Amino acid sequence: MITTAVEGAPGRLADEYRWAVETHGLTKRFGAKTAVNGVELLVPRGSAFGYLGPNGAGKTTLIRVLLGLTRADAGTMSLLGYPVPRHRDAALARVGAIVDEPRFHRHLTGRQNLRLLAAAREPAARDRIGPALERVGLAQRGDDRVSGYSMGMRQRLGVAACLLGDPEMLILDEPMNGLDPAGMAQMRDIILSMVAEGRTVVLSSHLLDEVERTCDAVAIVDRGSIIAQGPISELLAGAQLALQVECSEPGRARALLAGTTLGARVEAVPSALGLGITLPAGAGRDVIAEINRVLVEGGISVYRLQPVQTSLESWFLQVTTRLEDPE
Amino acid sequence: MTATSPSDAPAPEQAPQPTPVGHSHDGRGSPVPTAGMIATRIMELRKRRGLMIALIVMNIGLPALFLFIRLLGHAFWPRTSPPAGGNQIFGVLAAGFLPTFGFLAAATAGCTAGSRDLTEGMFRHLVVTGRSRLALYLARIPAGLAIVVPMVAIGYTIVCAVCAFAAPTVITDNGVNVPPGLSRAGFANWGGNHAELVVCNFPSNGPVPGNVDCPSGPGWWSVSTATPGQAAPAPLEALAAKIASQDYPGYVGILRSPPTSVMIEAGLWIELEATVAFILGLGLASLMGQRTGSVILLFVFQIILTPILSGVGIAHLQSLQRSFVGLAVARLEPSGLPMAIGGMPGVTGGVGGPGDARLPESATEAVCVIIAWLAAWTTLGAWRMMTRDA
Repeated sequence: MITTAVEGAPGRLADEYRWAVETHGLTKRFGAKTAVNGVELLVPRGSAFGYLGPNGAGKTTLIRVLLGLTRADAGTMSLLGYPVPRHRDAALARVGAIVDEPRFHRHLTGRQNLRLLAAAREPAARDRIGPALERVGLAQRGDDRVSGYSMGMRQRLGVAACLLGDPEMLILDEPMNGLDPAGMAQMRDIILSMVAEGRTVVLSSHLLDEVERTCDAVAIVDRGSIIAQGPISELLAGAQLALQVECSEPGRARALLAGTTLGARVEAVPSALGLGITLPAGAGRDVIAEINRVLVEGGISVYRLQPVQTSLESWFLQVTTRLEDPE
Repeated sequence: MTATSPSDAPAPEQAPQPTPVGHSHDGRGSPVPTAGMIATRIMELRKRRGLMIALIVMNIGLPALFLFIRLLGHAFWPRTSPPAGGNQIFGVLAAGFLPTFGFLAAATAGCTAGSRDLTEGMFRHLVVTGRSRLALYLARIPAGLAIVVPMVAIGYTIVCAVCAFAAPTVITDNGVNVPPGLSRAGFANWGGNHAELVVCNFPSNGPVPGNVDCPSGPGWWSVSTATPGQAAPAPLEALAAKIASQDYPGYVGILRSPPTSVMIEAGLWIELEATVAFILGLGLASLMGQRTGSVILLFVFQIILTPILSGVGIAHLQSLQRSFVGLAVARLEPSGLPMAIGGMPGVTGGVGGPGDARLPESATEAVCVIIAWLAAWTTLGAWRMMTRDA
């Protein structure tokens, strides 16, 4: 598993409550299928944390286990420092969550649905109904029946439901699902404002671009197991780099590079403008300078050398591709 | 946005300290539902238009319509249409119509309350609040009963009001219309004044005098108005007065309108029937996780299974029959009503009368059976709700 600073954080044992979510060996099986497989997850408090994975990777199941919606078969977990399920009520008092598609009583209005949920929380939750609707932009439609709501409005009502408990942590399962671009932008703003207030937001999604725009740290899950986790910047720092080289005689340039010591470290392929070169993880500026020197000394005209920023998506594909490759 | 590393996390002293085992700040782990939970649960049920229409129609609409038609009929055609109310009509409604439809309506409400959170996706939201699942379940009981019980009470009050205030002005004793409220002497005197009617229709141990020409066929006087007949010979008058005096206990037992005590007892019994139905429906629907199947099962239970079980007389099955909640509720039926369940076909007489073919079972046994059923279904429903994946 790829793990960055998270695992090596100093003082972890002494300060067990610095994690909003902490799981060890968490496992959930459905018959012969293992949906969550020994998950070791650490979510820092006050961060926006993305839980990424392809469809069917076990994202929703992990969230359901964390929230006590279904039981774990093995492992331990805690939310905001409270071991669950032992202190489930105390933990969930500080958590708001949307799991799967948010569904409500369709015959009730949005406000009435929130009243129903607020009654199950602390008395102060009732006073938060109005502000919560206001915050998610449903104040004008709060007294309409949910049966008339669009998917985006129900997603926003779900977020309003999360806010009733003034939570320290929000767990949002695929909150962008079914939203149009404007709805996604609005949801992103809501999430970022939550994080700005110091709340922890755990976001499960397969929309990597959205997660990269919203989250500080991520965990990648595949087939029930976490294969990497940590701050996005640190994870991407460990990713392979791409270098776009615009030059004359790309074929000869490729051969030149292959004939040097660089040949074993970089992979060059012809591209529309010249060469696309993949550099090893952690390769520094020296390698780029070396490539330039080899090409110029070989009589190749180099017009442009452009490092291409690795996106979360391309890194995700690298990681998951590596998993699929038996070698 | 800057990346957050674990070292950026809040200092430990800023983090909330875990609550001691078994304690939360607002008691949401408690199995006792709050007043707010019950109130919002009432709102959730009350806003279900289809359910409320069904409850109103079955508990209020149908008996009210039946009585309204009778009131109209008597108002426009008083000679051919009897008064709308009276003790007999009360018996029909209180022992047959209201408990049956009350059961079906309450069972539907219970099944709705027990399944709709799950099927409409709200159960998950509720569980995520951290509130005890048992409290979530238990909140539905007072909430549902707060709707079902008043609904039954309204329908029943209408029935009582019409039966008491629109009762016939005369009573029918052995097919003869007789003024109500007479003393023994007054009844004997009335008998003397209607000697032929009494001698021909009232039960008598002695022979009918030869000079009295009684028409054949029972009840031919019953449609006549009780008016003094032609002057009868003194011996015949004396005989009629004697027969009337002998019949006085039976006359006293015939009621023009239902007595208050019977109305109160019958009302409580009908409410018991509805309460049992609601709690059974709630438990069954929570267990099954769906409404339609549980409603069908309860309808079959009440309309088919219970009458069949009450009718069979297999000695080895008697204990099983006694443990059936439908028969236990029937056992508690007030004695002033006709048999709701367990009456012998063709035999008249109410609870405790000659037509009472119910299994011998004490009231205490019946109460125990009912409590056991309510406890068992509540436990099953709550258990399923506490263990179900949300």
